[in-house]
Amino acid sequence: MRLYSSSSEETLRARKLLTDWAGEGFLTREQYQLLQKETASDLRTTNIFLRLVLFLFTLISVGAAAALFFVGSGPSEQTIGVFSLIFAVVCYAAAEFAVFQAGLYRYGIEEALTACSVGFLCAGIQFAFLSDSPDSPKLESLVPAAGAILALWIWRRFGFSYAFFAAMIFGVFLPGYWTSSHSAQHLIVAMFYATGLVGIAVVRSRHRFDYLEEGYSLVEAFLWLGIYLAINLKLSSLDLPAQWWWSGTRDSSEFARPFYWTTWVLIWCLPPIVLARGIRQKDRFVIAVGAIAAVLTFVSNKPYLGWPRHTWDPILLGIVLTGVALFIRRWLDRGPGGIRHGFTAMRLSGKDKQWIDAGSTFFGLLSPQSITPAPHTSSPDVRFGGGHSGGGGASGDF
Amino acid sequence: MTILTRLKQWKEQSKISPEQHAHMAGLARGEPFSLFLELNVLLYAGVLAFVGGLGWTVSTWSEQIGDIVVLTVLSSILAACSWYCFSRAPVWSPAETPAPSPIFDYVLYLGSLVWCVELAYLENRFRLLSGRLDPYLLATAGLFFFLAYRFDNRFVLSLGLSSLAGWFGLKISHWSAHQDAAYRQCALLYSLLLGVGGALLQRRGLKPHFFGTYLNVVANVLFWALLSGVFNRQGYGVWLFALLITCGASLAWGLTRRQFAFVAYAAVYGYVGVSSMFLRSVNDQTVVLSYFVVTGVAMLAVLVQIGRRFGRTG
Repeated sequence: MRLYSSSSEETLRARKLLTDWAGEGFLTREQYQLLQKETASDLRTTNIFLRLVLFLFTLISVGAAAALFFVGSGPSEQTIGVFSLIFAVVCYAAAEFAVFQAGLYRYGIEEALTACSVGFLCAGIQFAFLSDSPDSPKLESLVPAAGAILALWIWRRFGFSYAFFAAMIFGVFLPGYWTSSHSAQHLIVAMFYATGLVGIAVVRSRHRFDYLEEGYSLVEAFLWLGIYLAINLKLSSLDLPAQWWWSGTRDSSEFARPFYWTTWVLIWCLPPIVLARGIRQKDRFVIAVGAIAAVLTFVSNKPYLGWPRHTWDPILLGIVLTGVALFIRRWLDRGPGGIRHGFTAMRLSGKDKQWIDAGSTFFGLLSPQSITPAPHTSSPDVRFGGGHSGGGGASGDF
Repeated sequence: MTILTRLKQWKEQSKISPEQHAHMAGLARGEPFSLFLELNVLLYAGVLAFVGGLGWTVSTWSEQIGDIVVLTVLSSILAACSWYCFSRAPVWSPAETPAPSPIFDYVLYLGSLVWCVELAYLENRFRLLSGRLDPYLLATAGLFFFLAYRFDNRFVLSLGLSSLAGWFGLKISHWSAHQDAAYRQCALLYSLLLGVGGALLQRRGLKPHFFGTYLNVVANVLFWALLSGVFNRQGYGVWLFALLITCGASLAWGLTRRQFAFVAYAAVYGYVGVSSMFLRSVNDQTVVLSYFVVTGVAMLAVLVQIGRRFGRTG
């Protein structure tokens, strides 16, 4: 089913690891050059920046070409739909051809073509089959269902983890067509993701230490995050993307009390389970999702219980996060050789330093804008907010 | 063949030593598994949440708490951070210096952000400079640059760059049409100063690893400024010319130094600028769409060639 041969992908992975290890000084220059020759791959890759730009220009070209087809002639919606379906097939075939013929691997072009094929498929179904039909929610659910199926197929065929994420997003919209009960919608989405999680957990156990492990790890992390977000009913009160998640902010009274309190228990149970799974599997992405879920639970606990938020809540959260980081680091450092239970706080990969350097530059530029929320003072005399000073602030938001 | 099998094979062929094999096979299996990145992210998030809450609390409750308590608390944190950093810092070196402790960078970052909060509080409560913000921003930028170079810290360097941008009057949310020319001038001056300053510091060997940060900020500010000129209804020719020259320079730099972010900047900003010029008087949808098809494919062809020749790695 996979478009790339396992030997090609395994070779690429070996090449990347060699580069990383050579950068860390684990290999001599001569050894690196020698081993690099043995890991020559037939796949054509590029760096992340060219990949992004190639993706962008492929989208522009394909989008403009499709629009050009319809301009002037004023076709009916059915015609647009039929041609969109044809474009979907053409884009998908072009993506397969680009990989088969040119050996493109995460090159931007084939990725944009597959993205276009999903978009055209959804638009095609909408215009060709649903535009003139009377309101039929079950029929309308065809659009997200088809999008999800094609995205899943692309994930299996090309290995794009974000295609799986796209399928999850399509899945969010499906229950809305089947039931009007919001509780049921949350439950159905959580069940979707839980089913996917079981499937992934079974499959990935066969791929320990091979080239597929990272992809499965990312997909499992997406699913854990999806389950958490589906059961946390209060995230909407934090102005998180509730608008697209479940069509607006929800009032807790719309949920049955047992359901509401069950989800409250679950949002406390899930983070430790995810963290434990991530630590057991030594899975970076799952650990990250466990940590994110834990922070989100802290943040959404008060709204769940109906308690008021305080301005010092973020201070306490900051102290907890810093305290946990320092405790873990010290605990690991005190182990023999700085290692405990197979974990270390030491840096072992050059990639980590690259991430920290890039992140510190980027977030350093952004953080002054975000550290202080909008002011709301009780007295007109006290006007702390809205100031433009504050050095790094450089911001009227400060 | 998995990486573990390969490593075993290379060991048997004596291409790597048994010690290297043991070490790298362990790494490939995640033994030991490094939590370095996760712990750093946790520390960063903790500092940010703490200072965010501090700013929020101070701005909301300053009247009830009282100026003395607020300033005492903020000054105490600031003093503690300063004491920690200056007492733990190694001897200064112009080369890249590792942090003396894992939390050092975050203590410095905390101190810098608390400085921002305290300064903002002082000015807004006591109007020490009658609401004039420029001296604060310039002094703060100077302080942050000093701290960044003294302690070799990119977080604080970025704070210094954004403070200096503030002093130059750069703030995207204030970028309204009627002030375009003034902001453009500020942006160009800022880019020039930063570019020349960064290059001089690099040539003198003063923390040369910071140069990449300078260049990325300079490139983006400069491209935005030039693009805003190209979008003008009149007198855009000179801005387009300047944009093309900058794109050429960015492309050349990116290709020779294998820093492909600059190739991407040249491609995207250049395309936007040239397209806006070509399409500004075109109303025919067919022509516009044809333009995007033809130029999009042309850009793809050029970028694929660049990718083939230069961009496999990185």
